[in-house]
Amino acid sequence: MGDVDLLAINSLLAIENLSARVAGKDILKGVNLTVNAGEVHAIMGPNGSGKSTLAQVLAGREDYEVTGGSVAFEGRDLFALRAEERARAGLFLGFQYPVEIPGVNNVYLLKAALNAKRKAAGEPEVDAYEFLTLIRQKMKFMQMSESFLTRGVNEGFSGGEKKRNEILQMLVLEPKLAILDETDSGLDIDALKIVSKGVNSLRDARRAVVLVTHYQRLLDYVVPDFVHVLSGGRIVKSGDKSLAQELERRGYDWVESQDA
Amino acid sequence: MSATAHADRGTASAALRSFEEQWQSRTLDTLAPVRERAMDRFLALGLPTSRDESWRYTNTRNLNGVRFAAAKAHARGDVEPFASVSLLDAAQRAATISVVNGHPWLRGIDSVINEIEVASLKEVARLDPKMLMDLIGAPSSADNQRWALLNTALFVDGLYLKVTKNVPTPLVILHVGVGTDTDTIAYPRVIIEVAPGAGATIIEHHVAQGEHAVLVNSNTQVTLGRGGHLEHYRVFATGRESTHFDHLAVRQERDSVFKQFTIALGGGLVRADMDVNLNQPGATLQSNSLLVGYEGRHVDCVNVVKHAAPDTTSRQTSRAIASDNSRVIFNSKVHVQPGAARAESHQSCRGLLLSDAAEIDSRPQLEIHADEVKCMHGATTGRLEPDMLFYLLSRGLDRNTAQSLLVFAFLADVLTGMSVSSARNSIENALINQMPDSQLLRNFR
Repeated sequence: MGDVDLLAINSLLAIENLSARVAGKDILKGVNLTVNAGEVHAIMGPNGSGKSTLAQVLAGREDYEVTGGSVAFEGRDLFALRAEERARAGLFLGFQYPVEIPGVNNVYLLKAALNAKRKAAGEPEVDAYEFLTLIRQKMKFMQMSESFLTRGVNEGFSGGEKKRNEILQMLVLEPKLAILDETDSGLDIDALKIVSKGVNSLRDARRAVVLVTHYQRLLDYVVPDFVHVLSGGRIVKSGDKSLAQELERRGYDWVESQDA
Repeated sequence: MSATAHADRGTASAALRSFEEQWQSRTLDTLAPVRERAMDRFLALGLPTSRDESWRYTNTRNLNGVRFAAAKAHARGDVEPFASVSLLDAAQRAATISVVNGHPWLRGIDSVINEIEVASLKEVARLDPKMLMDLIGAPSSADNQRWALLNTALFVDGLYLKVTKNVPTPLVILHVGVGTDTDTIAYPRVIIEVAPGAGATIIEHHVAQGEHAVLVNSNTQVTLGRGGHLEHYRVFATGRESTHFDHLAVRQERDSVFKQFTIALGGGLVRADMDVNLNQPGATLQSNSLLVGYEGRHVDCVNVVKHAAPDTTSRQTSRAIASDNSRVIFNSKVHVQPGAARAESHQSCRGLLLSDAAEIDSRPQLEIHADEVKCMHGATTGRLEPDMLFYLLSRGLDRNTAQSLLVFAFLADVLTGMSVSSARNSIENALINQMPDSQLLRNFR
């Protein structure tokens, strides 16, 4: 009985039988997943399996229609919260394709995001000097150039810079749950190491990370506690990090054939 | 038909008759030949109707039944001070000339303000009528523009500015329409001459004061000498009940640069015309329009650019925003005339619709009669990008803030081109004040 209570307390994200539809097409068809604080989960799967849809649905994208199931975030009904409320509550989505927003400065966005979170927590706004110190420190950690400070959000960034910027935002916002959607795609090995370093620095007993990825490569640097295979809109197999290696060796066909 | 002839009493509207009465009771001055020609032409054409191609989006029928009287001249001390509405903050210490209902407030004659020679048109008409008539009477496309013709016929006074050197600090012309009575009309007239090699920044800021809205029919002429440059702003920030017709005519000589900003932030109905003639090789126009419609406002901006010489360049950027049930129109027509070889023209028109009831019409047009030219144009109108909005929301930003931020970003192309930082700040502030969550947005700058 004590075990059950402990699970309930630790469960950061509880997805039950989640179904979702995009543009009239059923993509998620009953996903079940529980993520506890302190854990790193990897969700792998072939293209079109619903990985990105799952990430977007969790972050609150409105044109993705939830058709069934439930998601609890720290015990609260996630779908009762709007995207901005989820973010303030500590859920972070690292985008597969970070959006360029010319005319909106990177730093202003970061500051606004941090202040929105602090305001929701009843904390005062961040001091301008402290904020700049924090940003510079995190930028240094992510090996980002000073020019970032004056540029528009992701404006003219290379693929690698955009992904590093996502991780920078994550480090500043310190979310409880980070869902990183193909953060490794399009990165060279150096950038992959930097991004992984960023993700690893956030790992602690109070937080959790969900890595959505197509390849096993990232998992050499950010070692997951659990690996799940999403296929046809459902999680068809779960295991530890060795599952990722097996997938790399045998391909997704192996799981799909097993599932069938 | 001479100007003493009149509009047909049977069919002429009350408005037209009232303009004729103003004409009959005018004080005669040395500009008579030019004025008579303009009035003749105005009476022959009548007021624009929606049947006129360039007025098809803007209906002014409701003015027809109004009997307009000339708006009063006001002495200093007669009216509330205008400091609160001035565009530039005190820190910039920009010289400001107030023009009230078309009458400039100047001390003395032929003075120099902010290193620019300044005189009232009344004085210039008395001292050098030939020069003034040459300037005013120069043939232009304004010959077909009724409100511009009416201004030429009926303006009582105005400003003459001559820039003879490089002037670093901007000069502000604060046009105030002071409405103490109903149904009045003002005819502000400004003539700016930039001598060869000289340059300046001049900001015309139109505001309103008083109980009643003045119908403003303003007209500015700019002549740029060889290698001269001018950064010119016209900012419309009058009240919801106001109607404003503005005409800006520009003639550019060799290698001159005209950088123009048209900013419509207010006014019930604003119709802003600009006619630019790139008369000599190397002349360059940079036109920037920032047109904001909200709460039923109507903004109609019409640019006509003539490339009349080789190696001339024009670049037009317009950004229109329409919310509530407002309507914003941007029309630009580029004529590349025979002989204007290697002319370059670029038109970028973008519109952002913020409500279902709002409307934006963008029409860049090109007419090319020369070879070896490089002309590009593009017009897009849409709504806020859902991807951008979601990105900002996913970072915890409030929905209103996110929207305002994107609207603001949409305008960035125009705003960042402004060299006068205090003007830019003031314009940004005015924009921000119209957006939800203005205080939050302020923190973004």
